[in-house]
Order: sequence, then structure tokens, then C-alpha cells
Amino acid sequence: MKDARLPWLRPVVALVVSAFFLVPLYMILVNVFKQGEKITQSPASLPAPPTLENITGLLTRTDNLFWASLSNSILVTTLSIILLTVLSAMLGHFLARSRSRWARVAMLLLLSGLMIPPQVILMPITQVLRALGLMTTLQGLVLFNVGYYIPFGVFVFTGFLRGIPIELEEAAAIDGASRSRIFWRVVFPLLRPATASVLIFLGVWIWNDFIDPLVILGPSQGTTITTGIYRSIGQYQADFGTVFALMFLATLPVLIFYLFLQKHFVKGLTGGATKG
Amino acid sequence: MAVDVRTTSVPASATPGSRRPRPPWAQRLRSFALFGAPGLLVYTCFVLAPIAISFGYSLTNHNPFNPPTRFVGLENYRLLFTDSEFLTSLRVTTILTVIVVIVPNVAGLGIAVLLDRKGWLYNALRTVFFTPMVLSSVVVSIVWTRMLDDEGLFNQALRALGVDQPPGWLSDPRLALYSIAVILSWQMLGFCVVVYLAGLQGVPNELAEAAAIDGAGPVRRFRSITWPLLAPSLTINTVVLLITAFKIFDHIQVITHGGPGTGTTATIAYDVLQTGLVANRQGYASAMAIVMLVIIAVAAGVTLRILNRREVNL
Repeated sequence: MKDARLPWLRPVVALVVSAFFLVPLYMILVNVFKQGEKITQSPASLPAPPTLENITGLLTRTDNLFWASLSNSILVTTLSIILLTVLSAMLGHFLARSRSRWARVAMLLLLSGLMIPPQVILMPITQVLRALGLMTTLQGLVLFNVGYYIPFGVFVFTGFLRGIPIELEEAAAIDGASRSRIFWRVVFPLLRPATASVLIFLGVWIWNDFIDPLVILGPSQGTTITTGIYRSIGQYQADFGTVFALMFLATLPVLIFYLFLQKHFVKGLTGGATKG
Repeated sequence: MAVDVRTTSVPASATPGSRRPRPPWAQRLRSFALFGAPGLLVYTCFVLAPIAISFGYSLTNHNPFNPPTRFVGLENYRLLFTDSEFLTSLRVTTILTVIVVIVPNVAGLGIAVLLDRKGWLYNALRTVFFTPMVLSSVVVSIVWTRMLDDEGLFNQALRALGVDQPPGWLSDPRLALYSIAVILSWQMLGFCVVVYLAGLQGVPNELAEAAAIDGAGPVRRFRSITWPLLAPSLTINTVVLLITAFKIFDHIQVITHGGPGTGTTATIAYDVLQTGLVANRQGYASAMAIVMLVIIAVAAGVTLRILNRREVNL
């Protein structure tokens, strides 16, 4: 349908609404390049003259806050999403192709995991991790991420697998291929769009995760980039230059990632919402 | 589409067919050990077992710094429903959830209808609205605090407009909860826009055009054609918003710490961790966590059931 009367009305309204919506994002962008005291005095003004002080100050801190948290975040996120993709694709395939009653029970238990708030399980998690000797370690955080986010992976993969005819796998089996071979050579390559959704969504979620790394890594044992931001508002109450620089640099990788892979984001999100 | 569960079923795989013989027992065990077991093991260790442990603790007075742990039966649960702090957190969480289920849903639908056109402008604006979804809640919380603080951006603007005593958006106990609701709504708005836009693009143009020829105005067309066909989008948005709002924690931890005053913004999720990990009353906090889990499961289940029923198929 076309806008018959007042064709200029729609773009103007759309732009005005977006401008209001954008204020918080604008705040991040201008304040990164402003001197610390000006951030509180005139939060909305343009940075004139712009300064890179905040960013260079952060990058050269003696306590290495930025680089240490960045490498922790990269390590935890990468390891978690690789493990999650492999384990949830295999589990998803197993459950989608199994005809046992137990597979349906397992599926139900996994799907209910989609809505479990982390607060419900964090207290016992600290005990489980302590028993395994993994409390306050990055490995412990990675393992927790795998357990907590595996329902999402399984959900995406089983949904996708329903559209892949089982005949392909049967043909390969008749040719004498083993189950592992069939999975890695025939099935997994076909799952590529689902793999993309899983990697993208879990990557962003785990990167941005706050309470889980805060509790599991503990107060003294290093931080991820997100918990680093949180700690920096407590410690340096006045120094908003550092806080904004940290927020900017923490967001930049996800933002670039998002701008390049937008289509996949939208596809992954709306798969269930559209017909066809 | 990537994760469509309902429509992409291919007949061959939709009916696994009893004619296919089941593989022998040993082979099934082997494929379970290789493919099913690793994922299920991690899930059991880090989700299922912790829930069971939580339930176990909820029947005790467990406090790691105040042994011994005794079995107290359902005492914790009985206490919860007379504990004004818990009842307040239940009220706070409910108010927040109701607002956050409604506001981004309604505003998101409006913006989706506004942006449902082709062209670079609308594509760019779609990108803009989705951006908060990839920001960390911590970042969102800090930026909004800079805006809503007593001396923040909003109040500076209000003073410039001649308002002598602008409201304390985050410091007034009557307002803080609503400010938090606005912040979370802003963050979730883009999600709703994207889901509704996808829904709108699935509405066949011919239907609206035929109705227009029959003399239906834009409002009538929306009510009778578009809106019923958006039912699946409404379902997804409502359930996601419900779960997200009900478990809100990060914003409270970063912005208000449950205050101002006593517990004016302390949600259940916040209360659970305060009681369990700060006050170390883990038995009691576990009972809270279990109640929270039950409420969220029932609320999501009922909502899904109601909304699924009104979905129509073309």
C-alpha cells in the first residue's frame, strides 16, 4: 500500500521518533571524547574540542584493567560458543532423530531451561564449582555458560533439523558411513544457518553477561569486560571519562559484529514469528 | 527460515515412520554416549542438579557461616508469605513486569507499522531500533543513570525550560520503579519492532488491497486483517518480555541497589541474591528462588496457552 495523502508525514514522524530513541546512544558517543568533568556538567553537548584522553588513559592504565578484562572476555566467549555449538548440535541431532520416550522427556527438560533465571541456580552453582575446584576460574565460567545456554542451542538446532530429510542420513548409512561420520560430513554442513544463529546470539549474550561472571569469577579474580565496567563505577565514582571509554570499547566489538551480521540477527529472531 | 518449528516440516521427516526398524540396542547406547550424553551431562550438572540442590536447601535453615544446617520442612515457604520484604519484592516485580509487557509491545507495534516501508531510510531506522538489543544491560544502566540522575541530562533540560524543582527520577521512592520500567522498555523496544516487522511482511498485500476495494478504511483493515495475522508475533513478544522483565536484575544492581528507601525497586531476582549471597541465608533464599521459578513457569505457560489459541493459519 502507498501513503496517498501527506507522503512526507511518515518519514518525518519516523525520524522524530528515532531521534528521541537515539538519545542514550548519542550520550555514549559524545561523552567518550569529552573531558571527565564536562561529562557531568554538560552531558549532551558535543565534545569541543574532542579528546582521546579517556581512551588512551584507559589503554595505558598501570593496573591493566582494560586489556586484562578484554582478554578474559574474548577467551570466555570464544571457548563457550565453540563448545556450545558442537555440544548442542550433537545433542539436538540426537534428540531430533531419536524415537525413544526418554528423548522427549529430555527435550522437555531442556526447553524449560530457556526460562530459568540465573538467580535461581547461582547459589548451588557456586557449590558445584567449588566441589569441582573450578570456582573463580575462567574454565568454571565457561562450563557454566555451556550448561546454562545449551537449551537455546538445542532449541535452534532441533527446529532446523526438522526441515532436513532423514533420507540423506539413511543413504549415507547404507553406504557404510558411521554415525559420527554422517553427522560431521552430512548433517553439520547443512546446519550452517542454524549454526550462525547460535554463534551470533550466544556470542552477544555471553559477552554482555553480567551477574554470572560477577558471582563465578568473584571479587578479586579478574573480571570480564562487562563486570569491569560495573566495578569501575564503584571505584572511580568521579571518573566518568574512564567509565565511558570502557563502555565504548566494550560495546564496539559487538556493535561491529551486529552491523555486519544484521541479516542473520533478524533471521534468527524472526524464524518463529513469520509464516514461511 | 532458520528456526521455524511449525512450518518447515517435510512430510518424510515429520513422520518418523514405524516401518523403519529401530537400530539394535548396543548401537543406540553408543550413539547416546557419543552425541546425547555430553550435552545432557553438562546441563544436568549446571542446571538440573542446582535446581534440585536449591529445593533441598529450601527445606533447611542453611547458612554457610552459621552451622549446623537443620531440616525445617516447609517453614521457609510459610515465612515467605508473611515476610513483608518478600511481598514487597513480589509487588515491585509484578508492577514492573506488567509495564514492560505492555509498553514495548504497544510502542513496538506502532513503530513497526511506521517503518513497514521499503527504502534506505526505513532500513537504516530498523538498524537503529535494534541496536540496544546488543548492548550490555550494564552499559544501558549507566548511560540512563547519567540521564535520569538529579543533576542529569533530563533535569538539566527541565531546569533550562524553567522547571524549578524537577522530579528525582531515580531518587524519589515513588518514581524510581517507573524509571526502571522505562529503561527496560527502551532496551526491549527494538526486539518487538523487529518481530512485528517480520510479522507485517508476512501479511499478504492482496488481502489489504481487496479490503480497500471493498471500502474498508485503514483502521478497519488493520483491525480485521493485519492484527489477527500478527498473532504469532504478539505471542513471541509477550512471552519474551514477560520472562525478561520478571527476572530483571542487572539494572537494579547497577542503578538503584533496590532503593531509594527500603525495597522500592528490589525485584525478586535481586532479593534472592541479596538474601542468599550477601546475607548468606541460603535456605531461605532458596525457597524464594523456587517460588520465583514456579511463578515464572506458570505465568509463561498460561500466557503461551492463551495467546497460541488465538493464532490463525492462512
